[in-house]
Amino acid sequence: MFEKYNYENAAANAYAALEKVKKSHELYNDVITFVDPKEQLENMPKEGKMCGVPIVLKDNVNTKGVLTTAGSRILANYVPVYDATIWTKLKAAGAINLAKASMDELAMGGTNLTCFTGPCLNPYDTNRMAGGSSGGSAVLVASGAVDFAIGSDTGDSVRKPASFCGIVGVKPTYGRISRYGIIPYSSSLDHVGYFTRSVEDAAVALEVLAGRDDKDMTSSYKPVEPYSELLNGDLTGKKVAIFKNVMDATKNEGTSKLFFDLMKKMEEKGAIVKEVSFDDELMKAILPAYYLIANCEATANHSNLDGIRFGNTQEGNSVEEIMINTRTYGFGPLIRKRFVIGSYGLFVENQEKLFRQAQKVRRLIVNQVKACLDEFDVLVAPASTSGAPLLNDNSRDQLSNEYLIAENHMVIGNFTGYPSMTLPMGMVDGLPVGINVTSKAFDEVTMFNVALGIENITGLKDLKKEVA
Amino acid sequence: MKDIAYFKKLANQLMFDLSDDEALDIQNEFETLQEQLHLLESIDTEGVEPMVYPFEDETVYLREDEVTHVISQEDAIVNAKNATEGHFRVPKVVK
Repeated sequence: MFEKYNYENAAANAYAALEKVKKSHELYNDVITFVDPKEQLENMPKEGKMCGVPIVLKDNVNTKGVLTTAGSRILANYVPVYDATIWTKLKAAGAINLAKASMDELAMGGTNLTCFTGPCLNPYDTNRMAGGSSGGSAVLVASGAVDFAIGSDTGDSVRKPASFCGIVGVKPTYGRISRYGIIPYSSSLDHVGYFTRSVEDAAVALEVLAGRDDKDMTSSYKPVEPYSELLNGDLTGKKVAIFKNVMDATKNEGTSKLFFDLMKKMEEKGAIVKEVSFDDELMKAILPAYYLIANCEATANHSNLDGIRFGNTQEGNSVEEIMINTRTYGFGPLIRKRFVIGSYGLFVENQEKLFRQAQKVRRLIVNQVKACLDEFDVLVAPASTSGAPLLNDNSRDQLSNEYLIAENHMVIGNFTGYPSMTLPMGMVDGLPVGINVTSKAFDEVTMFNVALGIENITGLKDLKKEVA
Repeated sequence: MKDIAYFKKLANQLMFDLSDDEALDIQNEFETLQEQLHLLESIDTEGVEPMVYPFEDETVYLREDEVTHVISQEDAIVNAKNATEGHFRVPKVVK
């Protein structure tokens, strides 16, 4: 779909898209800041892989001169003095940014109900959540307002909202895309990700975004491949591992049927499909290990939000009082809860028992997935157990296998750093549900090709719930 | 069972306050968390090294000690609520 945009029609498309972004925001509350495209249109290149493509950025992407809040009241007045590397790359490729999208506060959530500007709603049913933390970006692509949006993915924050909103969500390999200028959450788990409505656009976008950046020491030196040229969608001989622990824990019959019907069709196209089981006790430890690692790292990363050098400073009679008043006023209840858990995990008496244990369990989980992908090309499972939950849904048993394994298995993509993406699988009870595809480290080519093979079977390219 | 004072103390070490209701909320959720953490603690990790980052390939090398990435003093303080003559301004520390 990127091919319909160019330098000549960029202005007309940008302003038409901006109207749709505004309409989408009226309906779904998916924008924090609108961006006037005038200056970008005046300075855009005449050619580029995304020339004239209207886009939105998640609001944790630093944009020089444009408000960047990360969805938190503590940064409600923060205007960066520099651009994130990915925004520099997107501009150089000709993309036009129209908005900074809603997100869970500091990217620490999976619902997009915690943004300081209020909850972001699902376009298929406004009584349901968009998913998070990159919910605003997902909704703006799902509503057809834009064809591309940046997100970030620390647990499944691109791939889960992609499932709930019926679009493509990509989290490439850790280190594949520079994170310089992204407001961090958890440094060992954070990835830049993005949304499209086709696998082909997803492949083109990675060509634009990927590559070494000396400003991000974790970015990789591996060469960027011509992902779109290497697309063929051929499933012949592709070895596909079904994540059996997830299927065993999935109670929704509609989701299971949709998934196994798709597996059958993939076999008919020549794929070799087999079920693979991992150690169930390890799988039940995915979520607690994630909670500890993510929250402990977040506690340290966000210690710079003190109200002294930047942010929504509150008054106080001492430096300490300013910090406490600023952080008490600026952080929402969920964030403070997560920080308290992080602090608990970092207590001297808990560091070895909990934090180090979580890091060791992470290695054991990664070892199992690596062994699987030594034999198979991809690991697949439903990206969510059902369609998007209701906004006030508190019914899930947080100690059940369905919650611990089936609803949170995509954290494995962050533990391993392996490339992982979601694309629409079909509809369950009128709501979209995605399939998650994970491949070996830096093997985005195989991931995209299996995804294209799936897209060809489902026919769900360009699925959207378009705003009028 | 941890009391709410315990959670308030944890919060204060992180430089923010919790209301009684918020501390109570965390206390209630902490029981579920403890059960989840028990699942983690029950895994045998004898002889396993902690995994700090996804890949252990080296991506950082020593470079020449050259100035490459600098922002101006004006930019450094532009987002500060209180700044004077190129400095961040805070209440008197030594009293």
